[in-house]
Amino acid sequence: MISFKNVNKWYGELHVLNGIDLEIAKGEVVVVCGPSGSGKSTLIRCINRLEPIQKGELVVDNMAVHDKKSNMTKIRADIGFVFQSFNLYPHMTALENVTIAPLKVKKMKKAEAEKIGRKMLTRVGLEDRIEHHPAQLSGGQQQRVAIARGLCMNPKIMLFDEPTSALDPEMINEVLDVMRDLAKEGMTMMVVTHEMGFAREVASRVVFMDEGQIIEVAPPDDFFTNPQTERGKSFLKSILTH
Amino acid sequence: MWGFYFNELMRSLPFFLKGVYMTVAVAGLSLLAGTIIGFIAGIIRAGRNKILRAIIGVWVDLIRGTPFLVQVFIIFFILPGIGIELEAFPAAVIALSNLTASFICEIVASGILAVPIGQREAATAAGLSQYQQLRFIVLPQAMRTIMPPLVGQYVLLVKDSSVVSAIGVVDITRVGWLTVQRIPEGLMVFGLVGLLYFAICYPLINLSGFLERRMTVASTKL
Repeated sequence: MISFKNVNKWYGELHVLNGIDLEIAKGEVVVVCGPSGSGKSTLIRCINRLEPIQKGELVVDNMAVHDKKSNMTKIRADIGFVFQSFNLYPHMTALENVTIAPLKVKKMKKAEAEKIGRKMLTRVGLEDRIEHHPAQLSGGQQQRVAIARGLCMNPKIMLFDEPTSALDPEMINEVLDVMRDLAKEGMTMMVVTHEMGFAREVASRVVFMDEGQIIEVAPPDDFFTNPQTERGKSFLKSILTH
Repeated sequence: MWGFYFNELMRSLPFFLKGVYMTVAVAGLSLLAGTIIGFIAGIIRAGRNKILRAIIGVWVDLIRGTPFLVQVFIIFFILPGIGIELEAFPAAVIALSNLTASFICEIVASGILAVPIGQREAATAAGLSQYQQLRFIVLPQAMRTIMPPLVGQYVLLVKDSSVVSAIGVVDITRVGWLTVQRIPEGLMVFGLVGLLYFAICYPLINLSGFLERRMTVASTKL
């Protein structure tokens, strides 16, 4: 579904992605972790070309994202993206937030888009918040609207960039619950997160990154109980003792 | 004597109303053209094309860095030298539209740039085109920032329009100049001139204040 082959990216002198090789199959849930600045957010932002890559091949659902001639609108329409800071449109209601892309990108009829919008907002537990504006919602509710916004496009892949990092602790679980359900239904997901409980429970594999490189890729149980590298060990130690 | 001149002035009122009409015509047309050109230029200035951005930047600096009176003279007296002959009225409208557009350009560009980058990223990730992002996501939010200074700019436009009396457009100011030659009570004549400008500007000032309050409330609510 997603295939990285020797992917490289630089910000000026800084080598933010260094020779990334990674294959993600349909239905897999891959959790990406690593210290800040390790390139994990950049990695998933490259998948829908929010960031362009400079070298290597990146193929998503048989479409070459590295190729400048590729039609990104089509690829992006199939990939839901959830941001750390939600990025809901503040001038629109929850329902308008989730229906704008189906209406404008998929050219769906309004009634149909709203039907799907209501269904997805209900699915994330917000059936009583459909007409609310983002500022009238808590952080956890906003992030669930953002997930529903991605789901309304009926995506093949969902990407999550630290979806719970900006939330108060008591709101983290309501968002993780929605993500757990998605994972169980077989959605292909890539999640950048520090929620190791979530990773243990639903991840097919954990990707550990540091300094722009993939250091380890392993099933969660193996990675958490028996990391193979020194950097993996010291990272786990630092996040488990904080 | 004062009473006599006052009656004379009252008899000149129709002449003054023609001046009001002219001021409103010059300012209104310039408002329309300046707004359209200013928005287009502002959108480009906040856009990605570096060359276009630089060209508009130079234009804005030139217009903002020269006196408006000089700009009016260039259009009215100097352009005929290279074969472009203009009547006073179109010359005035062109000069004033150009001035207004350059200020509105900066207001619009800074309004657009004030919309957080995450908004564009979310819209990009959803597959919205550049145009759709601007139309549905960025501009509606930028308008909250743009509206109050935009209306403030319209007030300045009405007042700046008095400069075009210098090339013979018979606006309120010009009517004042002509009248004071018959009625040598400068304070009285130009008091009326000021009053008429104020009558046009005051509703705009209120509108600007109203929008500012409404936008502040709206942005805290949202």
